[in-house]
Amino acid sequence: MKISTPFAYAGIAFGALFVPSVFILMAGKDPLTIWWVLIHYTLGTSSGFAEVVVHAIPLTLLGLGVAVAFRAGIFNIGGDGQLICGAVLAVAMAKILAPLGVAGAPLFLVMGFIGGGIAGAVVGWLRARFDANEIIVTIMFNYVAVQLLTWVNRGPLQEASRIFPRSYAIAQSLQLPIIVDDSRVHAGLLVALAAALAVYVLMSRTSFGFRLTVLGESPEAASYAGFNRTAALVSAMFLSGGLAGLAGAIEISAVHHRLEDGFAEGFGLAAIAVGLMARLNGLAVPLAAMLFGVFYLGAGALQRQAGVPFPIVWIIEGVVILAFLALDRAARGSASRA
Amino acid sequence: MRFSRWTGLRAAARVGLEFMDLVMLTGLLAAGVRLAMAIGFAALGETVSQRSGVINVGIEGIMLLGAFLAALGAVWTGTPWGGVLFAIAGGVALGAIHAFFTITLKADQIVSGTALVILGLGVSSFLNRLTLGRTAASVPAFDPVDFGPLTDLPLVGRMLFGQNILVYVGVVLALALAWGFRRTVVGLEIRACGENPGAADAAGVPVNAHRFACVLFGSALAGLGGAYLAIAQISAFVENMVVGRGFIAIACVVFGRWRPLGVLGAALGFGLAEASQIRLQTWYPNVPYQFFTMLPYLVAIIALVFLARGAALPKALGRPFVSTHG
Repeated sequence: MKISTPFAYAGIAFGALFVPSVFILMAGKDPLTIWWVLIHYTLGTSSGFAEVVVHAIPLTLLGLGVAVAFRAGIFNIGGDGQLICGAVLAVAMAKILAPLGVAGAPLFLVMGFIGGGIAGAVVGWLRARFDANEIIVTIMFNYVAVQLLTWVNRGPLQEASRIFPRSYAIAQSLQLPIIVDDSRVHAGLLVALAAALAVYVLMSRTSFGFRLTVLGESPEAASYAGFNRTAALVSAMFLSGGLAGLAGAIEISAVHHRLEDGFAEGFGLAAIAVGLMARLNGLAVPLAAMLFGVFYLGAGALQRQAGVPFPIVWIIEGVVILAFLALDRAARGSASRA
Repeated sequence: MRFSRWTGLRAAARVGLEFMDLVMLTGLLAAGVRLAMAIGFAALGETVSQRSGVINVGIEGIMLLGAFLAALGAVWTGTPWGGVLFAIAGGVALGAIHAFFTITLKADQIVSGTALVILGLGVSSFLNRLTLGRTAASVPAFDPVDFGPLTDLPLVGRMLFGQNILVYVGVVLALALAWGFRRTVVGLEIRACGENPGAADAAGVPVNAHRFACVLFGSALAGLGGAYLAIAQISAFVENMVVGRGFIAIACVVFGRWRPLGVLGAALGFGLAEASQIRLQTWYPNVPYQFFTMLPYLVAIIALVFLARGAALPKALGRPFVSTHG
């Protein structure tokens, strides 16, 4: 039985809305009202929209990281761990960077990139050298990184009073400025957009990007062409982890100003969906990140205002990934028939 | 004179150590086996799925749903067996999604599995907040089987004869799977689906039907592994309580070289690592506990590095199969 593509698309979109709606019904709420509240709260008010942007900043960077690794054929689901590594290294260096004036904040972000990048590069090296499955390794690193974070918050980086399990606050000079009045939208937005552009150019206009793509599409062709597989995997994962670490440093610099347990929990999972949705086009990452920013912010609002449990956001995320797979399939199906 | 005094001290110390070691080891071994089986069930299920050619990285999510449904089913029916049934049904349901996407639609297996991880986390946490999370209902759980005086045997007594019924189910299951893969026609056919689906298809084996069944079976076992956490290891559901065991289970499949008994052995290794790190935390209160909590995850990474090379993975693992004669 052949289903024409527009019908397939409509069916998939319906399914993506229908499944979470069933769960909303189970919570005893009216799905149409809930979807309306979610959209209105996040996109219908300027304050809500500003918060969506704030959420989309780390999601953009993490999603870019997922997309870059994907190009090289690596499934990096360690964004959460690499984000923590970046944030921890940056905060650990904060006292050295604080007196450096205007150079402080950029260097703080560079430290985040390096911290996450090293965590990623190790994974790339293990994959290249030992064929260690990167999915398992990155997930294991996530759990190790969470323990690392809880340790530094109670140990070496804890605030001087040692009352709360959290780090010292970073100096004012290391904090990214707010760029939109009466909101939390900060200069990290510019960094994220620049990163999206840079990744797009890197992947589609440079020989480095070409090599990664060949490696991802056809490892045999890459080896026939004499590409250095180890170097490519390590650098792809350094870049991927680095983008996650950069997201971590930005979250600290612009939003939290210090490390706390679970300060950016769950972004890594959402980033997988963002990276997958935008796999076709790097410039689409910020848009996909906005969509998931809507889900995240909206789910928090629904929990507070309508009593729909927050985990609805993960149900939506899972369904969106499956819907994307189905869309991909429908598109391929129509292409092969044409 | 000096010599003999030292020898005496050392001998006394050794006797003391050995006594402590025996008591401690008995407990460690018993706990190691007890903590291994959640991973064990999931890893055995993943073995069946991967042997047929389908990798399912979503078992973390399936285990979460299984754990939640097991607690819910045990509370509703009043018996842990009710929980087992609920968990298996939930596992099959999520497995059917994976099978439909990867086998019927031939979508990317890793991406589909990742969706299951997130879905399982979401559905289990969401429903928990609507049901169990609102009450303080106690969850009926499996007690250790009573083997009488056998349990008091030194060293191995509690390890072999002090476990709950699901542990023995798991061991029998591993033996049955090992035998099934080696000695039965279906086992051979499943292996062929993972190694050389083209040849299997030519020989008349319904490759995709076998794969579908194996994914459902494997997911049922992952659900059971999750159930084990909630109604055997402890008697409660806690959101995100699987904390990576689903991924460790996938690593166990690699360590066990896709052989059921080897896979179960690898799971036992992780059970022992878990039991050890809990004890180390109390022995070394000056070392930050987080370093011990990290241990099983680091062990997984290190083992993967040293054992993954030249792994005997099924040759067609991860590749969809399209029959040439429809």
